[in-house]
Amino acid sequence: MLEKWRILNTGANNAFYNMALDEAIVIARSKNLVPNTLRFFRWSPSAVSIGYFQSMKEEIDTEICKDKGIDCVRRRTGGGAVYHDQNGELTYSLIMNEDHRLVTEDFQNTYETLCSGLVLGLKLLGLPAHFKPINDIEVEGRKISGNAQTRGMNVVHQHGTILREVDVNLMFKVLKVPSEKIRDKMIKVVQERVTSVNSLLRRNVPFEELSDALLRGFSEAFQIELIPGKITEFEDKLTVELEKSKYATEGWNLKR
Amino acid sequence: MGRAKYKVKGGKLIKVKLSENGFKISQIKITGDFFLHPEVLIDELEEALLVHPLDEAELTAFIEAFLSKRNATLLGASPADFAKCIVMAVKKDA
Repeated sequence: MLEKWRILNTGANNAFYNMALDEAIVIARSKNLVPNTLRFFRWSPSAVSIGYFQSMKEEIDTEICKDKGIDCVRRRTGGGAVYHDQNGELTYSLIMNEDHRLVTEDFQNTYETLCSGLVLGLKLLGLPAHFKPINDIEVEGRKISGNAQTRGMNVVHQHGTILREVDVNLMFKVLKVPSEKIRDKMIKVVQERVTSVNSLLRRNVPFEELSDALLRGFSEAFQIELIPGKITEFEDKLTVELEKSKYATEGWNLKR
Repeated sequence: MGRAKYKVKGGKLIKVKLSENGFKISQIKITGDFFLHPEVLIDELEEALLVHPLDEAELTAFIEAFLSKRNATLLGASPADFAKCIVMAVKKDA
């Protein structure tokens, strides 16, 4: 019999809620209150997240974000700044026990194993995806997914993005660049290095079709059965608390 | 205030901002898109670096020992990369 995991589709929410829910699931998992979980979600309004070790003020033009109503949040994971477009990006989280058969002590190795679900899902859509160390997935040499992992409380938490559609110009409006002179050059470079599901398949792939394919990818790659579930009351309450006391605060977001 | 950026080949970007007085670091912030596990160790590492001599080899050994003692993992950068970027920032501060 296949190992059973929970699949949550939590829809589009603000950045602070989204990051708070991820942590709430991690805590619930650590207390054995919920099974290993795959979560799909989106961002509304569009948002920018920065890595745990980054400086918000150095990476993001927070004034422009304020004007455009874009949320800015620090993640609990390392890695770089990401623009999460409301209509362009699908995000996933994996929350699982650290002693799971798919997890090794080696982070690089575990990234590759956990990303294999996404790689297979993208292949099912017809995209020749492959893992690119350290933490990316590429198609035809261009990045389509970025991922970040952390561990603690005997739980592994990995989340990441899948670009369904990408607007690099918009991305660069909110990210700070070393100087205005090189902004156009940087946009060109990133445009050449980044791709998306829609541009590769030359059609508008609905979010549901994308998440269905990834779900199948995770099920087959991990040899698990994903059972649709709900957020528990414990997770729900903790999310509200973490959103208010941590992720929506300047103390957290501006701490580095 | 000295600032330096160092992109690790095949790895991540490290940024260091620091003040130093002669042979010691008096203030330091290490930021970037690297991964350090557990994450909270970054504050402890910055604190530990405040009294340390600024020789690149010594810094490398010091950071290496700091991380290994705590069973920590650095991904996308090495202790030598951190040390290199710190020394670059010290030179800018001089």
